[in-house]
Amino acid sequence: MTDTRFANQKAVGSSVLPDEALPLVEGEGRFLNDIRLPGMYHVAFLRSQHAHARILSIDTAKARALPGVVKVLTGEELLGKVDPFHSMPNRFSGGESTQHWLAVEKVRFCGEAVCAVVAEDRATAEDGVDLIEVDYAPLPAVTDPRQGEKDGAPLVHDTCHNNYLIKRDYERGPVEEAFEKADLVVKRKFRIGRKQALCLEGRGCVAAYRESTFALTMWMSHQLPYVVRHYLAKHLRLSETDVRVIAPHTGGGFGQKASIYPEEFVCGHLALGLRRPVKWVEDRLENMVASTHARDQYIELSAAVDADGRILALSSDVWVDIGAYSTYLWSAGMEPLQTAGLMPGPYRIEALRYVTRGVATNKTPVGPYRAVGRPSASASLELLIDEAARKLKLDPVEMRRRNLIPSEMMPYRNANNLVHDNVNYLPCLKLSTTKVDYEELRREQREAIANGKLRGIGISCYAELTGLGTSTAVGPGTLLQPGRDAVTLRLETTGVLTIAAALPSQGQRIMTAMMQVAADELGMKLSDITCLSNDTAMAPYGFGTFASRTAVFGSGAVIKAARELRRRILGLAAHLLDTSVDNLTIVDGAVETLDRAKHMQLSEMAEQSYFHAKHIPEELNQGFEVTSFYDPKFGSFAGGVHIVVVDVDPDTGHVEIVRYVAAEDVGNMINPTVVRGQIIGGIAQGIGEALMEELVYDDNGQPRTVTLADYTIPSALEIPTIELHHANTPSGALGGFKGCGEGSIIGAVGAVACAVADALSHKGGDIHEFPATPERVLTGLGVLPGGT
Amino acid sequence: MASERTIELTVNGTAHEKTVPVRRSLADFLREELHLTGTHLGCEHGVCGACTVSMNGRSVRSCLTLAVQADGAEIVTIEGLRAEDGTLHPIQQAFHENFALQCGYCTPGFLITAIEFLEENPNPTEPEVREALSGNLCRCTGYQAIVDAVMSMAGKPPAAKD
Repeated sequence: MTDTRFANQKAVGSSVLPDEALPLVEGEGRFLNDIRLPGMYHVAFLRSQHAHARILSIDTAKARALPGVVKVLTGEELLGKVDPFHSMPNRFSGGESTQHWLAVEKVRFCGEAVCAVVAEDRATAEDGVDLIEVDYAPLPAVTDPRQGEKDGAPLVHDTCHNNYLIKRDYERGPVEEAFEKADLVVKRKFRIGRKQALCLEGRGCVAAYRESTFALTMWMSHQLPYVVRHYLAKHLRLSETDVRVIAPHTGGGFGQKASIYPEEFVCGHLALGLRRPVKWVEDRLENMVASTHARDQYIELSAAVDADGRILALSSDVWVDIGAYSTYLWSAGMEPLQTAGLMPGPYRIEALRYVTRGVATNKTPVGPYRAVGRPSASASLELLIDEAARKLKLDPVEMRRRNLIPSEMMPYRNANNLVHDNVNYLPCLKLSTTKVDYEELRREQREAIANGKLRGIGISCYAELTGLGTSTAVGPGTLLQPGRDAVTLRLETTGVLTIAAALPSQGQRIMTAMMQVAADELGMKLSDITCLSNDTAMAPYGFGTFASRTAVFGSGAVIKAARELRRRILGLAAHLLDTSVDNLTIVDGAVETLDRAKHMQLSEMAEQSYFHAKHIPEELNQGFEVTSFYDPKFGSFAGGVHIVVVDVDPDTGHVEIVRYVAAEDVGNMINPTVVRGQIIGGIAQGIGEALMEELVYDDNGQPRTVTLADYTIPSALEIPTIELHHANTPSGALGGFKGCGEGSIIGAVGAVACAVADALSHKGGDIHEFPATPERVLTGLGVLPGGT
Repeated sequence: MASERTIELTVNGTAHEKTVPVRRSLADFLREELHLTGTHLGCEHGVCGACTVSMNGRSVRSCLTLAVQADGAEIVTIEGLRAEDGTLHPIQQAFHENFALQCGYCTPGFLITAIEFLEENPNPTEPEVREALSGNLCRCTGYQAIVDAVMSMAGKPPAAKD
């Protein structure tokens, strides 16, 4: 990191090298599976091989008799001892549902945990799992949400009629009138498959009994340590003060590690009961069936458009195949409510209507994953806009230009009741089309098509509401409505600043970001700042890392705390240096007078404050430790425009990305190269979502994609070089920051989908189902039978 | 068939003689017996490449290699890449300077793969780099920074051997 710098040189905005990455480069990261404690047992789970079945009997005798097996736990044994997960009743829920940590009476998806085996080592625990005999009576499985919602369909939960875990009708503005007076009504069906986050490291935990003063210490590969602490205490019937949660190095999160799952809670129960540490590490097969899935939607979307290409109203019907349970703490509402509710994206929509449903099926539950709901909302709308533009003989860019919310109309309240402010949609469109040389791109496309090539161009404009404060719900009806986070700053006697926050990183370099912000606020060197971000025993209260919030909350809280700490430092310095506060500043870790005649190192000041307090008036020595909460109140919209060029091979159906240009507004950037990594990483996941990744089930609810050989994610060959540009405008949050962890995946799915559809349209084809696998592309071209 | 066998091998320059269960993978052996936890398991069936280690100079999937197959072999893991004075291997330095990792879980496999590749092809083109890295999966970076890191090594003299 940088050493000496000038007083006016800022850390924020500079791509300082993140020292927090060094242990990972050196093979000295400490991931969950790297932790071992004395006397530690290992846990393996027996999982259901049926999608839907009644459990007739469980015989654990042989497993218990296996040498090395310590305990075999069933769901029955947990009844009355711990509290299972009940779905959150809210105004949109279809019916209440209960998820036992280990299945009781019924199993509802392939992969659901049925028994836990504790043994001296993992291999023996797995041997024990193989010896358990379960007698099942299979039940008819629900595998399609549009079948599952019909009267008379088998029920996943007897309490949820028509298998609705969530259902919401919404209407705002003159929808009917708009469709009546429209010059053009366009309708389109859209389907996106089921996918998953595919963190390279799966979930896992080490649960320890009586470490330090805590009854239960939980090392857990998770994004929200304090939230886990709260729910562990609640469900294990402990006090929060009995529980410590630590998130070690985490091998990817992307939302999959933001939910509460049964397995870790079973391990907590086992550690308390056995009075020994236990460890469970998810293997890849388990991860494919027992960690949350995402997307899996059917959308029917229509728009009322006038002759100028202005969208007057949007109307959508959304079905989400939500899986067997309402994912705990976020509920089944994540995908259904956000897909339909955020359908307008960055476009000016004055009338909006939707009906959205989360339908229970006998599959793995769907939970939060990068940019929840919005990639499919955006892609379905962008495809519809292209169709409207084609019918109106408008260029797709021009149609978008006429509908994006212009900066001069902001703050602008859209028909979904969200307020857009401080966001550069039109400048991003202009920048991207300029950088890509759009006219030339279209000319090249015409030439390519004339030469028999199937070339397509896709344009996608997206909006992402980031850094949600208390005035904006993360998701309507979810139990958790976090709007505040805290940071503690402490100036140590060595003159080093410690930042403590419960905002763990899964690779986003959050610690570095907070250190950069603190460096500027306090005039300190980055090498004199350290950060703790993963331990409830060390950090002030906070909700954790999700929803593109951490840079906004962490930085905002650092700024607030730093300003108070600075006030205290300067107050004491004025006394010690016999001058006035106005005459002082902090530069490179030392307080000095403006004429630089007098100065004092922060280390010396801290020593005075801590060790020589009797010489200092008490009111001037309030301690060099400050905790501040930050609530940005409203969220900040980030946005961007992505332009993608693809070539489709009409013989094989293979889609190749020829060019990828993105223009993004992510607000003020703390570390531009980190931001770049977040954006390009999101684009790569979006390309996977649009072209490759799909979890497939058969009609009986059997998963067909349970290895990385079946479920393919992009390699370095499938991801092109991304040309990234910025049209940033500061947000209204402290520091002008916005979140940027999720948004780019939205732009990617829409732009790639539109590019493929555009390519196919030149041979009279179209595509409605994604990912655009070769088979679907060939179907869209009429080469293979089927189509939608 | 015996359920255990004694093997001799060299790991990061240190000779070991260990009795191991024949069903134990090389990855588990390195992690559990030698406490070299820098080697990570991502899929346990040879697809993701996170567990890649160097065996007699060639990169291998340590999840698909049994410990007993490494009898007599010379193994290098990520922990063996630094010089004795602690200096990072040039490819480690390049990954750091190019922000070529986020969560860092896949990094050990990429480093080992990249070292073998650069020894064979010290002056590669970008398509060659992408091809060479295509057996290693990264979910965070979108590969661009990793490709940049490897390309930054192009034309440089190979790292001094231990």
